Amino acid sequence: MKFSSKQWLDSLPDPQGLLEEVQRHGRKSLITLGLPTKSSEGWRLTDLDRLRALFDLPVYSGNQTQNSESDHFRNRNIWPSTSSKGFRLVVDSAHELIDSATVPEGFTFLTHEELSQVLGRTLHKCECNSEWAVEVNQASATKILALRINGRVPPLELIMPACPNEFSATRVLLILEEEADLELLQMVLGAGCSAQSHVLEIYLGNGASLRHGWVALGGGEASLLGHLTVEQEPESDYRLTTIHQGWSLCRVEPRLVQLHGQAYTSINGLQVTKGSEQAATHTYVRFDGPEGSLDQLNKSVAANRSHSIFNGSISVPRVAQKTNASQLSRNLLLSGNACIDTKPELEIVADDVKCQHGATVSQLQQDELFYMRSRGIKLQEATELLLEGYCREIVSLLPLDIARWDLLNYLLATFHE
Amino acid sequence: MSTQETVDKYVTKPYKYGFVTDIETERISKGLSEDVIRLISAKKNEPEFLLDFRLRAYRHWLKMNEPDWADLGYKAIDYQDIVYYSAPKQTQKKTSLDEVDPKLLDTFDKLGIPLSEQKRLTNVAVDAVFDSVSIATTYKEKLAEHGVIFCSISEAVEQYPELVQKYIGTVVPLNDNFFATLNSAVFSDGSFVFIPKGVSCPMELSSYFRINSGDIGQFERTLIIAEEGSSVSYLEGCTAPMFDTNTLHAAVVELVALDDACIKYSTVQNWYSGNEEGVGGIYNFVTKRGQCRGARSKISWSQVETGSAITWKYPSCVLQGADSIGEFYSVALTNNLQLADTGTKMIHVGPRTRSTIVSKGISAGRSKNSYRGLVQIGANASGARNYSQCDSMLIGDQAAANTYPYIRSRQMQSSIEHEASTCRISEEQLFYLQSRGIGTEEAISIMVSGFCRDVFNQLPMEFAAEADKLLALKLEGSVG
Repeated sequence: MKFSSKQWLDSLPDPQGLLEEVQRHGRKSLITLGLPTKSSEGWRLTDLDRLRALFDLPVYSGNQTQNSESDHFRNRNIWPSTSSKGFRLVVDSAHELIDSATVPEGFTFLTHEELSQVLGRTLHKCECNSEWAVEVNQASATKILALRINGRVPPLELIMPACPNEFSATRVLLILEEEADLELLQMVLGAGCSAQSHVLEIYLGNGASLRHGWVALGGGEASLLGHLTVEQEPESDYRLTTIHQGWSLCRVEPRLVQLHGQAYTSINGLQVTKGSEQAATHTYVRFDGPEGSLDQLNKSVAANRSHSIFNGSISVPRVAQKTNASQLSRNLLLSGNACIDTKPELEIVADDVKCQHGATVSQLQQDELFYMRSRGIKLQEATELLLEGYCREIVSLLPLDIARWDLLNYLLATFHE
Repeated sequence: MSTQETVDKYVTKPYKYGFVTDIETERISKGLSEDVIRLISAKKNEPEFLLDFRLRAYRHWLKMNEPDWADLGYKAIDYQDIVYYSAPKQTQKKTSLDEVDPKLLDTFDKLGIPLSEQKRLTNVAVDAVFDSVSIATTYKEKLAEHGVIFCSISEAVEQYPELVQKYIGTVVPLNDNFFATLNSAVFSDGSFVFIPKGVSCPMELSSYFRINSGDIGQFERTLIIAEEGSSVSYLEGCTAPMFDTNTLHAAVVELVALDDACIKYSTVQNWYSGNEEGVGGIYNFVTKRGQCRGARSKISWSQVETGSAITWKYPSCVLQGADSIGEFYSVALTNNLQLADTGTKMIHVGPRTRSTIVSKGISAGRSKNSYRGLVQIGANASGARNYSQCDSMLIGDQAAANTYPYIRSRQMQSSIEHEASTCRISEEQLFYLQSRGIGTEEAISIMVSGFCRDVFNQLPMEFAAEADKLLALKLEGSVG
């Protein structure tokens, strides 16, 4: 099938600016790729009607001023001010991000020349440079934030707000030089009927360390497509924590390659769905060298008629001897109409490795509820306590700056509505 | 000697069942068409309904595409280059074994299958299938005393057409998948088992499948029906000679368990797996499915998969009856360039249904061994439970072990647990056993055997010993 939203492609402004080549490439690929179909394994479970609907939205034109604060959040009064020690950038289609903002010491914007050399390299390493969702981003993204990080730097907060009733796309590239140390918190905020596409490329040099929080809070009919791609050199330490809540359609794909092994990776995710939402996390981790390690935990909570999907793939080729990888998928069903799909995959060729995965799907443990009720705690309260504990395990792994956002209570409020 | 060398030596052992029996056969010419199907049907004196079943399947098959999702990467099969019917020349089924061609008896003797009277000491009834037809079924009379029907499916079609018509294609519909549909169109022989209400089958039933010709496809079809409160244990074994061409084996097995019935189905599959370079061997594309239709019924699959160039097999349980139980115990060993993509499907439909999956994969050489399984809990399966465990053992650094569990739940009052791990035969473990005076070869054997014990414990006694021996054979070397 050819790309059905030909009009969508036609509606895009002519390729221009820094990303001109990328845009041309993306548009060309989309015409050949067409829309994903159920017959492709990776899209089998995705609600394709909702995916198609994304392309009925006009692409951000620049005429409308984008709210840097999402209405959604303002109402709840939990939009905090920038912390004193860190700094905040708003990443959207409206702001030109290169050469503009003043940034603290240790951060430098990549020059155009540097950018042309490294852009797309991580996508390629992570084998997703021609993935459909990436091409959608490449075809439409007009702005890019590209930063080089040296040494130990203050926490960075990236706010990625939606543009109501429009489709917006952003691209971010971060290069952490040797021994660099960064805490990054990304807040992706959906609002109204909007769609967002984000592609992120991160390179961690030898001994670099990145604590990465990705918090995506939707609202209304908002949809999100995201690719988080990461390359790790030896001795680097990458800890990703993702939170997804409130998206009509959400599909986020963290993809990571340990270039020469010998690095540490942790990926922890929580997705909370209610109503008729669909949330999907597709992770992929490959070890291209020995002695790498991975700890992965993905949790989901599905209420009402929602659908929660997890697909975790770990690839351990022959060169990756002494890899130590573990992956756990834990799922809670809170309603008789909700649906959970989980598929933790292992592909191993090296023989001297420790790899394990596990998956559970259940409701809240009856004996735990009973324990609390027998101590006089009401059912409702006991349920909330258990859910709080369940979510806190992931939320507490986010960079410390998240404390200002009161995220846990925000997530738990999902279950009250 | 390093572990690697020992292991390499240990895992290469010639295929012992690779001989060809030189026997006159009656066969039809190569190719597939409606006429071929009519011919097969006529040769077997089939009633109208079955010919109709075959033709409907064939017409549907023509519209289907060969699946490619399993990423098996085999050479395209030319379906017109296969002989769909081949039988040893003795069309009349013999009443006594004395009349069976001694060459055939010898063949099965060589394979260790006791067909002749003096050897039939073990309490196992055997149905032996040679290429397309069943040549002998033992202990039929004794079984008949209990009302148990155990015969080839061709005989069943002649003698109990109403039973066959009632159940065939009800578990694996004729349009189920590419290979099952092909089987529905051209199936030749296989076993038929019917256990009447309340009867516990007095002995183990067993089928032995032998492919003898190089260009024949074996399409056997097995149907087992256990009525209310009955139980049966059925074993299946397979071998084939060594040819440098690939032979297609596309079987369909259907099990039906009514209220309180219990079926235990065990397989030891040792088809020829091709040589070290991956030339020749059987393509084993099999559809096996059991339906727990009745309340409290139970279907248990256990399998030891050691042969075939490519195995593609997912014995499944559809758990419809309330409180029904599905089990799957599997050991899959791959060596050289073998590919095995095997696992199970547990479809929980009824309330309080339970399933257990234990899968052990051993990959050696340059082989690829994948577990692919589905656990699905439907909206009405309240109180359903599943437990899965998939362990892989890697021998050498060129073998691949993959795990692809698909888990889907739509029922909050249910629980699914899945775990998977990988391990290898490590230097330390070998050293530990050797330092206690155990030879290298035996030490490896002990470790492999221990790794598979959970599954072997589930096999019937006679088979457990055979399976252990088989694994040892496959891994045996010249040390000691």
